[in-house]
Amino acid sequence: MKFVRKHAAILVFLGLWEALSRFQIIDPLFFPPFSHVLETIFHLFKIGVLTPQITASLQRAIPGFLLALVVGAPLGLLLGGWLKNINGFLELPLEVFSQLNPFLLFHIIILFMGIGEAPKITIVTWTCLWPIVFSSINGAANVNPSLIKSGRTFGLCRLALIRKIVWPAAAPLVFAGARLSLGYSLFMLIAAEMMGASSGLGFMVTRTQEAFQLDRLFAAVTVIAFLGLFLDAILWFIGEKFLLLSMESHLNAADN
Amino acid sequence: MRAKRLTSPDPVAPLPGKTRSGVPWPRFGSFGQKYLILFILLFIWELSGQAGWVDQTVVPSLSLSLKAIAEMWTRIDLGSHILISLGRVIIGLLIAIIVGAPLAFVLVRVFPVFAESVDSLLRVFGLINPYCLFPLFIIMFGLGETPKIAVLSWVSLWPIFFGSQIAFKTVDPQLIKTARSMSCGSWSIFWKVTVPASLPSIFNGARVGVEMSFFILIAAEMTGATAGLGWIIHNAGASYDTARIYGAGLCVVILGVGLNRFLQIIRRGFLDWSDYLASPWLYAGSACPKPVNRTLLWLCCLVFVLVFGLGAWKIGLGENLIVTNSDPTAFNP
Repeated sequence: MKFVRKHAAILVFLGLWEALSRFQIIDPLFFPPFSHVLETIFHLFKIGVLTPQITASLQRAIPGFLLALVVGAPLGLLLGGWLKNINGFLELPLEVFSQLNPFLLFHIIILFMGIGEAPKITIVTWTCLWPIVFSSINGAANVNPSLIKSGRTFGLCRLALIRKIVWPAAAPLVFAGARLSLGYSLFMLIAAEMMGASSGLGFMVTRTQEAFQLDRLFAAVTVIAFLGLFLDAILWFIGEKFLLLSMESHLNAADN
Repeated sequence: MRAKRLTSPDPVAPLPGKTRSGVPWPRFGSFGQKYLILFILLFIWELSGQAGWVDQTVVPSLSLSLKAIAEMWTRIDLGSHILISLGRVIIGLLIAIIVGAPLAFVLVRVFPVFAESVDSLLRVFGLINPYCLFPLFIIMFGLGETPKIAVLSWVSLWPIFFGSQIAFKTVDPQLIKTARSMSCGSWSIFWKVTVPASLPSIFNGARVGVEMSFFILIAAEMTGATAGLGWIIHNAGASYDTARIYGAGLCVVILGVGLNRFLQIIRRGFLDWSDYLASPWLYAGSACPKPVNRTLLWLCCLVFVLVFGLGAWKIGLGENLIVTNSDPTAFNP
């Protein structure tokens, strides 16, 4: 029951959309009713148009995101916690790099990597990298020093210090950065696909837009929104289950 | 000095990387420290072009890019394009703030039960890709400026909304109780306690929003605009004019960094107390935050208003910009 009450607004919104379009209050040619959009999605799945596009998009988004996570989180933790001196040198260059617009890079990366999968994955990685790096730097730099000092008093070595204190204290921020950049990854990927690709959901959006197949356009947009929700939910689940639990136990241990 | 180093470790050992005097290793001034690597990178960029390590047609050197900027400034009125791009971002931001913050306040404070059930819908909206809304906005608003500004407002609306939602929810009840015990009316509680306490979060949301909308602006201008920096890049890309791509790209980066710096100055100037409240241990001892120069602050505000006004004016003129400043070498689709 609580579930229904919490998500009532979504149902009301969808119902409103359906009703307005069915009764022709808004033009069903431009806004096909939701049921019709759902039908289109099922139809597209059945004739095998949608699945390859979704896999194409995911095959770009997920490796790009993971690469950014693998590079960005250790780099940020290192810069924020251990190599603070170097961080002073790198602060401005990192800021400049983070402002390098991925779409701008798209033109340049294509010159180096050619067209194909590599530039798209590079763009996703580039976009995802910066929120992760900056939040990791922040997380590692803002650890409460009294925790570190007490760790030192207990004679923790550097590795243990990072594993037991810096990481648990910084994990929520790193994780928030990761979640933000997962959102970015889809966001930029769809845009990149809309601008220059021959497969993927973004490509489907432009294609259907040009062909004026608005039911398919709405289908693509709905699938993108659902995909975003789904990925976000997965990441949230992972965070709740593993990261925050481990962090809590660590912090509790530190408190006691 | 030497004797001191040989004695037992300092009881208050500096934290990793934080010397107690605050001067980081080695003895560069803070200026050198900040800009050293950037200068090296720029130098390598210039050198690689000059020395012929890379093909100048693929990677034009820094000087060529700067020349391209100067050329664009005189021939296709780069300044107007920059103002138009910035104006779009600022208009989108203002709309997002005007809609987002009051909406969050009304939902949190006036209709809390309703807000709970609307929350999930709004979260879904926040996750919807703004870029694929572009076609829908074109259907709704037609061509021209409105769909672009709608996309930008949409992008910055959600960070601002969720930021202010959290802010209004988490205003310290102690503060409100204290104010009430001093017999403040609900109006003055709102203005003197709730709003200042939630400004930092709203501002953080606005910062995320500005950054994202600056990103998406370039993309939106690339696909469907006749003015703005994104258009210039797209145009140059279509005619393989790499020097112009790099030049316009430099402008985008400089503007992005400048925008970021500007927001930081505003934040430090008006909301410097909030950092202290968030993590007081950072300010223990001598590391007090340096207050921002008031003149600089007001200068920043003035520039903001000026850019907004000029940008809005140029956007109004935007339809004619291409015709009057048409460049014979530019690719016009």
